[in-house]
Amino acid sequence: MGAEQAWLLAAIPAGVFFVLALFGRYLPRGGDYLGVAAIGASFVLFFFVAADFLSFYDFEAHKTFITESISWSEIGNFKLRQGIHVDAITIVMFAVITTVSLMVNIFSVGYMKGEPRYYWFFAVLQLFVASMLLLVMADNLLLVYISWELVGVCSFLLIGFYWEKRSATEAAKKAFITTRIGDVGLLIGIILLWKETGTFDIQQIIHAAEAGEIGQTYLFVSIMFVFLGCMGKSAQFPFHVWLPDAMEGPTPVSALIHAATMVVAGVYLTARLLPIFEAADGALLVVTIVGLTTALLASLIAFAQTDIKRVLAYSTVGKLGLMFVALGAGSPAAGLFLLMTHAFVKALLFLGSGSVILGTHHNQEMDKLGGLWKKMPITGTTFFVATLALAGLPPLAMFWSEDELFASVNHEWGLWALVLAMLAVFATAIFMVRLFIRTFAGEPRDRQVHEHARETPLVMTGPLVFLCVLAVVSGLFVFNGVGSALGFPGGIGEFVFLEEPERYAIDWTLAGISLAVAVAGVLIGAYVYWGNSLVRSTRLAEAMPRLYAALRNKFYIDEMYQYVIDRGVLGVSYVVSWFDRYVVNDTGVDGSAQVTGYSGSILKYLQTGRVPNYAMAITLGVVGLTVAGLLVRA
Amino acid sequence: MATEVLWWIFAVATVLLSAGVVFSRSVLHSAIFLIGSLGGVGAMYVFLTVDFLALVQFLVYGGAVTVLILLALMLTRTDAKESLNGTQAPWAALAGAMLLAILVSASVAVKWPGDIDDAPTTIPLETISEKLFVDFGPPFVIASVLLLVALVGAIILARQEEGE
Amino acid sequence: MVPLENYLVLSAVMFSLGVYGVLARRNAVLVLMSVELMLNAVSLNFVAFAAYLDPERITGAIFAVFVITVAAAEVGLALAIVIRLFRNRATSNVDEAAMMKW
Repeated sequence: MGAEQAWLLAAIPAGVFFVLALFGRYLPRGGDYLGVAAIGASFVLFFFVAADFLSFYDFEAHKTFITESISWSEIGNFKLRQGIHVDAITIVMFAVITTVSLMVNIFSVGYMKGEPRYYWFFAVLQLFVASMLLLVMADNLLLVYISWELVGVCSFLLIGFYWEKRSATEAAKKAFITTRIGDVGLLIGIILLWKETGTFDIQQIIHAAEAGEIGQTYLFVSIMFVFLGCMGKSAQFPFHVWLPDAMEGPTPVSALIHAATMVVAGVYLTARLLPIFEAADGALLVVTIVGLTTALLASLIAFAQTDIKRVLAYSTVGKLGLMFVALGAGSPAAGLFLLMTHAFVKALLFLGSGSVILGTHHNQEMDKLGGLWKKMPITGTTFFVATLALAGLPPLAMFWSEDELFASVNHEWGLWALVLAMLAVFATAIFMVRLFIRTFAGEPRDRQVHEHARETPLVMTGPLVFLCVLAVVSGLFVFNGVGSALGFPGGIGEFVFLEEPERYAIDWTLAGISLAVAVAGVLIGAYVYWGNSLVRSTRLAEAMPRLYAALRNKFYIDEMYQYVIDRGVLGVSYVVSWFDRYVVNDTGVDGSAQVTGYSGSILKYLQTGRVPNYAMAITLGVVGLTVAGLLVRA
Repeated sequence: MATEVLWWIFAVATVLLSAGVVFSRSVLHSAIFLIGSLGGVGAMYVFLTVDFLALVQFLVYGGAVTVLILLALMLTRTDAKESLNGTQAPWAALAGAMLLAILVSASVAVKWPGDIDDAPTTIPLETISEKLFVDFGPPFVIASVLLLVALVGAIILARQEEGE
Repeated sequence: MVPLENYLVLSAVMFSLGVYGVLARRNAVLVLMSVELMLNAVSLNFVAFAAYLDPERITGAIFAVFVITVAAAEVGLALAIVIRLFRNRATSNVDEAAMMKW
């Protein structure tokens, strides 16, 4: 089993998808064990692929990737090949996707117990994972696009899993349509790149872009179209609106969407095409600005949300923004490292909130929670670790990845971007502490909910503990010693890079500031919300009513879109429908029918039914024809 | 010369009798005029030296057809006060006149080829019968079948049905 | 010798009178008589053409025989229809038999 057979990782879950979708309902337990087994197989195979790749890998000898492709079709002298491309980015993505998916799958066995369409949930989960795995190993943009859309469809199916609920179907539609808008841009970008280079192959396009074979403006425009797709998928401003609503799906799905599949697709594609972004002047700046805007906006909105999952959703949006900031700073290492650590932490948080929701019998409003730590010790402890990790405290995972981020941002853009990025981290620390305190600490707000709360079974707490360990240790991967010990060439910076491997060296000033910011955030959060008391926060909200309302309503972005759609789209539709109704239908279709009918109703009186009239007509016809013939001949 | 005078007399008589058929105010008079008119046509056949056809004309038309028509007239009583002409009679006159103008002008305008000057001789009956039964044998048989079918149909149509 | 045109004009006059009769008359039997006039005009035309233009001088006469045959059949049928009409509608006027219209 070598890296050339990496396609098996996606093929196994895809096959199981068909089995489950067709026969799942007849299998005992809906065939959930098949799903776990399939992803487990992918998880195990990943280690073989990684080992094979690492034994092959040699940067000095330019052995940095393995490809395997087959001829798909030939049209004239255009040859289309489909294949896989395994390199450092792929390996990192594999690690994230297989690990998180496996945990989510195991967790789902407990969480989804007794739900209707149990088998269907696991079936789509397999397809979701398979599409995502295919996406990260595709060697050409066409395959990227196909798996990209597959990921979109699966997220649509899973977000709308409870389709009996109107809000769920609405959220599914919103997610699908919003990402579709970006996807159109992606398709345009792919076509533009293909038109200029004549190939879909990612490496060839990168070479062409780096060699300057594509005009600057053309390159910039086409890569911006591609980035539009990434923004849609990764919920970047102004496409971020779908992600919080996507909470309507089952909680394990949220974990999957936020950590391993779907939203990281955009980050992955940007990282994959980063050389092209670099070759196009100004593209990286756009990426940075979009990322910073999203990060700040989402971190602010998260303050005023009361639904656990919504808070987490906005924190994801914010962190995704930071990932783009890292990529915008030209550092795929920082971006992917942040992606990885965030994936483990965020999966843990979502599964933890899922555990809370199940433990409190489907309650996810913070206003009714509180004091759950004692009732749910495992969930509470893991959640606590995850909260501190997301807040950016050392030695937990995200501190190290954010340190990488700050270093590269400082190096590339200087102080202004650094300050803004830190502001986002600071805000995250505050609202994460708020989330934790209001859920687990202090006095319970709702006695009844509190009394019925109980710890969830092992099938759910197991994945929590596993992810908790990863949330603690995965950050250490930044150190070269840790990487070497695991068989990698070194730390993340020596494995994933743009041009040259970078050794990790801690910048004590930056690390100190970062630590100070995180600690300050945590302390402020703890001060304001201590003991699950809302006194201080309410005073704060009353002090700034306008700001609070804006945050509460997510800066009215949804309302703005609604307004634009109502006025613009519906206005145009009204005109079009008027045209259709009155011009096409009434005049064109009904009109011609009416003309025929009306002329018939008049002309029918010519049909007297009296034989002499017909005979007269015949005679006059003969006379008329003869005269006409004579005239023509004359 | 005598033939021509005789022809003109018969021709004028035929036209007048035909006019009587269509202009007469009595159904019975019309029928009688028709007999005369058909007889006039028969005379024309004699002028054209097809004596056999003249014989057929007198027998079939002057006898059988006219008798049939008179019978029908007797079976369908006609109200004497009723006008025999329809409302479109003036227009019918106009249409007839136009048709007449076209036909006459066409007849006169054309220079007919092979105009035989000498008087036609009588055609022997054997020639006609040979032509009719040998050369036109199949059409003759078909025509006789047609006649049979038509008359059987006529009987069925005119028959008094049960319960009527 | 009478020229061919004389016969043609005579037949044209008869035919036109027949057409007038068919168009103007109301009584079905009178219409039938007018049709007979038209048929005879046509027959006369055939025979005249044959006598003057056909070397054999005979085919027209054969046609006339067939015309007479068909006319006899037609008269038989038509009179049956007239009787039927009269029995059902108590009229033999063609303009009153107008059931087959809108």
